[in-house]
Amino acid sequence: MKRTLRIFRFHPEQDTRPHYATYSLEVQPTDRVLDLLEQVRAEYDPGLAYRRSCAHGVCGSDAMRINGRNALACKVLVQDLSTPVVTIEPLLGLPLIKDLVVDMEPFFAHYRAVLPYLINDEPLPADGRERLQTAAERDRFDETTRCILCAACTTSCPSFWANGQYLGPAALVTAHRFLFDSRDRAAPQRLQILSARSGVWLCRTAFNCTEACPREIHITRAIAEIKQSILKGRPAV
Amino acid sequence: MAHLKTALTGYVSYRGREGQWAFLLHRISGLGTGLFLTIHIVDIALVYFAPQLFLEVLQLYRSTLFGIGEIFLVFCVFYHGVNGLRIALFDLKAAQRWNIPTARGSARLVLIIALVLWLPCAVWMLRSLLLHNFGLFQ
Repeated sequence: MKRTLRIFRFHPEQDTRPHYATYSLEVQPTDRVLDLLEQVRAEYDPGLAYRRSCAHGVCGSDAMRINGRNALACKVLVQDLSTPVVTIEPLLGLPLIKDLVVDMEPFFAHYRAVLPYLINDEPLPADGRERLQTAAERDRFDETTRCILCAACTTSCPSFWANGQYLGPAALVTAHRFLFDSRDRAAPQRLQILSARSGVWLCRTAFNCTEACPREIHITRAIAEIKQSILKGRPAV
Repeated sequence: MAHLKTALTGYVSYRGREGQWAFLLHRISGLGTGLFLTIHIVDIALVYFAPQLFLEVLQLYRSTLFGIGEIFLVFCVFYHGVNGLRIALFDLKAAQRWNIPTARGSARLVLIIALVLWLPCAVWMLRSLLLHNFGLFQ
């Protein structure tokens, strides 16, 4: 079957402004969008820039806008796209580097801001090995451990588009993962960071993040649980 | 400025679902209501500072254009209020129910409730406008 791929192109050393280039491809219904990009690079332009790594929905490298919605190029099949022309654009809200590649540093700066690691200065248990928790305690934050930091959620968020200082859904998901971990002891510190001006209250529940998440994390729910925790002054278990 | 451009690009081109449309409608209706409240406070203040100007403003309010604007203002108030309740309910009381089906369904329901509340008011206000500005229904 035939498909036309319409790709956002920008070469910082050659172009003064971005443009769209179209490529006509012979594709299979079960091809992934990533396969189409590979085909364009092989048959038309080896200079086409995009990120990819595992190509199996695990590394989170190839998040991009596909027909106007954020998704991983390696998880979207041609048969899932109803339009004859498939439009591919870079993530919105992060500085553009080249073609479909954006600068992820602002995204990771927000990630680092929420202290994405376990904090517990208490002495080790008597056996000196590990801090145990029950299955129920582990379940409490299981879903938010699934984040792969692809940025599909953060760059689909209207609040993040309007205010780059906003921590964004991905950082908040990470914050949720540690805030609700029974072994963590930094809840007051975390809640202070999350309730700041650039924190959780900028979430306007537009739900784009949850819709875009390739890992099917209930992001808006996690953010709401953080809001409730701030109001209670402790993790709202 | 760059963020404004990004935000407008996203609002227009990102193909969000009901949640994004509810977000946008909430923003627009909030801005509309806020703008009206500002104008309303200013015009009422004219009673004290410039009574003659206040009377002229009242004439402006009776114009057809303002009448139509008021009809849409009522929709903005209803929508913003009902959608605000939806968000507060989910965010502060029922976070566990925040999932894609409930978000989509509740956004649609809010629009229906706002329209049901608004339509009788709109008909009544439109009738009043046609009666006073065009002499119909006499």
